Amino acid sequence: MQSEKLIQSHLEKTRQIINQIEKLKTFDLNVLTWKENETSWSILECVEHLNLYGDFYLPEMENKIKNSSSKNELEFKSGILGNYFAKSMLPKEKLNKMKTFKDKNPLNADLDKTVIDKFTNQQIKLLDLLNQSRKVSLNKVKIQTSISSLIQLKLGDTFQFLINHNMRHLKQIDRIQQTKKTVGS
Amino acid sequence: MKDIIELSEKEITIGRNEFLKVKGSIDTNLYYVKSGSLRIFVLDNYEEQTIRFAYRENIIVSLDSFLTGKPSDLYIQAIKKTVVNVVTKNQIDHFLEIEKNQNLWTKILENLVLQQMEREIDILTTSPKERYERVLKRSPRLFQEIPNRYIANYLRMSPETLSRLKKS
Repeated sequence: MQSEKLIQSHLEKTRQIINQIEKLKTFDLNVLTWKENETSWSILECVEHLNLYGDFYLPEMENKIKNSSSKNELEFKSGILGNYFAKSMLPKEKLNKMKTFKDKNPLNADLDKTVIDKFTNQQIKLLDLLNQSRKVSLNKVKIQTSISSLIQLKLGDTFQFLINHNMRHLKQIDRIQQTKKTVGS
Repeated sequence: MKDIIELSEKEITIGRNEFLKVKGSIDTNLYYVKSGSLRIFVLDNYEEQTIRFAYRENIIVSLDSFLTGKPSDLYIQAIKKTVVNVVTKNQIDHFLEIEKNQNLWTKILENLVLQQMEREIDILTTSPKERYERVLKRSPRLFQEIPNRYIANYLRMSPETLSRLKKS
């Protein structure tokens, strides 16, 4: 795929994600912290989970982009592993449960609406990184994953992975709202 | 202008603080504001710098992208819930195949150049009071449509300075 086309598609998805999250700010805190049961996440816990990922990946990506001597390439080709990771994040028709790594689990953390602002700021940062990524190779710049420093993904795949992960949990947030409506509070 | 707005086949509604366009995107659409208000800004070191506003019956466009088809650094954000009609570059190009429409289009662009010159003088004017008076004279409606803090940012002064100037 053409690198610029990919960047444009990521920018557009991120725009939609920012707008969707912005709507949450109008909700009451008791809606944002409501959960179906003790082990399920509230809306704010979903957002905080995304923030924990952002905290890990955004500085790592910024660093690698800044220090890369690679040149911009017209074409991006997804890596086998990167493609697999990114695709596995995509929400399916009926949301498949996935295991969360312990350090990325916000369950029962004391959260307020500031987590939403934090998320929005992270997305503005992501937009910035997408713009900066035009100067480097989306193929050659490699990003360490949060799973293991031995597993690295291409920068282009890392963007895809992170954005798909955001979309996945936005879908989950939709579902929490639906459940709350049916179950009542 | 009416002729151009009538080209639109699509309407978009966006909520308060939501983005119509973000940094780096290629947006060649022209938007006609049916209701609500928007602002164009750039982020300079995480500081927002407001460049332009639009409210009901205005046109808003990321002019750099529109003219070049290239990515633009501009953000376009709704100040409150806003409904816009979308006119695509394709629709405009098609519209401009008719000669009399080209004259209309030239008029619109000429008007825009004049507005940009006024804005350039604003920015280069040292006195905050004078900057405020220039904009007030030119666009009195702005002060009814747009919250103070955004106007203050546009005028490159603190909201406190702007309220003081408004009172005096």
